[in-house]
Amino acid sequence: MKFFPYVFKSLFRKKTRSLLTLGSILLPLFVVCLFGTLIRTLDRPPSGAGMYRIVVRHKVSLSNWIPESYRARIQQLGGIEEMSVWCWFGGKYVDYTPKNFFARFGVEPEKLLKVFDEAKIVEGSAADWVNDRSGAMVGTELVKRYGWKLGQKVVLQGDIYPVNLELTIRAIFDAPAGSNAALFFNWAYVEEALPQVKGRIGTFYIRAKDAEAVARLPKQIDEMFDNTDAPTKTETEKEFQNGFVQMLGNVKLMLNGISTAIVFVILLIAANTMAMAARERVSEIAVLRTLGFQKSTILAMILGESLLLALLGGLLGLGLFALGFGGFKAALMNTPMGGFAAGMKIYPSVLAVGFGISVFIGLFAGVVPAVGAARRSITDGLRRVG
Amino acid sequence: MATPLIQIDSLVKQYTRDTQVLTVLDKLSLSVDEGDFVALMGPSGSGKTTLLNLIAGIDRPTSGRILVGDAEVSKMSEAALAKWRSGNVGFIFQLYNLVPVLTAYENVELPLLLTSLNRARRKKQVELALSVVGLADRMDHYPRQLSGGQEQRVAIARASATDPKLLVADEPTGDLDAKSGEEILILMERLNAEFKKTIVMVTHDPKAASRAHRLVHLDKGVLKEDMHAEKGKAVGMAAALSASAT
Repeated sequence: MKFFPYVFKSLFRKKTRSLLTLGSILLPLFVVCLFGTLIRTLDRPPSGAGMYRIVVRHKVSLSNWIPESYRARIQQLGGIEEMSVWCWFGGKYVDYTPKNFFARFGVEPEKLLKVFDEAKIVEGSAADWVNDRSGAMVGTELVKRYGWKLGQKVVLQGDIYPVNLELTIRAIFDAPAGSNAALFFNWAYVEEALPQVKGRIGTFYIRAKDAEAVARLPKQIDEMFDNTDAPTKTETEKEFQNGFVQMLGNVKLMLNGISTAIVFVILLIAANTMAMAARERVSEIAVLRTLGFQKSTILAMILGESLLLALLGGLLGLGLFALGFGGFKAALMNTPMGGFAAGMKIYPSVLAVGFGISVFIGLFAGVVPAVGAARRSITDGLRRVG
Repeated sequence: MATPLIQIDSLVKQYTRDTQVLTVLDKLSLSVDEGDFVALMGPSGSGKTTLLNLIAGIDRPTSGRILVGDAEVSKMSEAALAKWRSGNVGFIFQLYNLVPVLTAYENVELPLLLTSLNRARRKKQVELALSVVGLADRMDHYPRQLSGGQEQRVAIARASATDPKLLVADEPTGDLDAKSGEEILILMERLNAEFKKTIVMVTHDPKAASRAHRLVHLDKGVLKEDMHAEKGKAVGMAAALSASAT
């Protein structure tokens, strides 16, 4: 601790360089933490009510329909608490800009509320929505974004389905562990307007009775429809949500690869800074050794400086991540990855890894310059004076 | 009779450059009494600085023996030498070599950080050292805020902060104007006379050498002249030595 003032002041003797190096640690670490959170979210075990939910869709893609008649056959398998139609409507609200994008699903209101029984209706009522064929239930996030009120009309212009829906907000929901940037309406409204659509749906959302059913049903359902015109792919809710992220490719491999590259680049930048700092101080280090500083003390001081630099950058990066996380999550909630984003949170393990990376960078960036500085002979160092 | 503080016997220092062996000091023997003020003179490459470095324990001899006080410097390990230097030698450089990011106070405190003194004792010691060099009012100034002469005085305070018996100085006035150089020499004389520091100083400047009690002239690694000066005669003797060297 006696040497801390020297170490600290040495760190900022070239302020611009040190601040740029701090920035080069801080920002990439922010990105690494963000990627770490995405990976951690992909890996998280299912929990809460979501762990009992299963999604059935066409095996080929989400844009293919499956027959509504599958419902009866699926229910015969047992272990099902409730199941609801879950159809992506798409369409346009006001315009196609991202600020007016949100999830719009046609569902069976009564059944949906049982499948998602953890969601709370905070304004209006379930009965009002269930009893109004053109009623809609919207999330609190959309209410906040658009200033919507109960009884307000919301018009969705169809694109996938050639029909304009004039919906009336009858309920406002808050899903504690899900996306609140979604609008749900009665799928029967579309079926009435477009009779050709009747009997064909996008997905079924199932609430299983227990963990045994969750484990059993996906395999049984998919086997049941394997040799039909519309084979199915049945997944747990978590797998289904992760699927939106995985559409980008092998996301985990990609994120891990980019993170590793980032860490390596930070390491090189920090090592370069420390090498320059040690090189510029060859004579000063020789003077310190003339005063009686041991090699080990010099080594510890340079390593300490490197560690301090990396830790400062790392802690600022972690702080920036903690501050910016909410905004990032909110932005992601308004995309098709909203369901996945809802499960995102700041994981202490990700912060710990970020901190560990800082320590690693600090030690490894400093070790070569520190050893070099400590090993150089005093007379060689003094000759650099002039 | 004065006790010798430094005893050097048959000192040899050689450097190897590629396959060529360069003898910088050749079987040099010298004794410096405690409390003496010795000026080492000689042309460039004569081995003055090498001898100074060997006495101060920052370089190792090829052969021979260096005894400073009770310590056989030539046989000590690197770690033991570092420890020995921290308590027994103060080094004054031509270019002051203060740490630019530290204040005068912090620079002088540096060697004291290696001792077991607590903060209060260190403070007392630093203040004393800075007051001896006349810079008690500049302790919070950074080197860039001081003149060359002031920087060198801070360096002298740093060298004497641990109260070592021996001060070694390598061209301490070499980078200073005449007036500042004079002030530094007066200060060194005072450290020698008043605080009983043994001083070994390398210099090219006959005027600086005239402050010493003894002039040792080296040439090609060999001791050429060793003269004990009398006050008042020193200038002429140093000038004569200097002239013979060029």
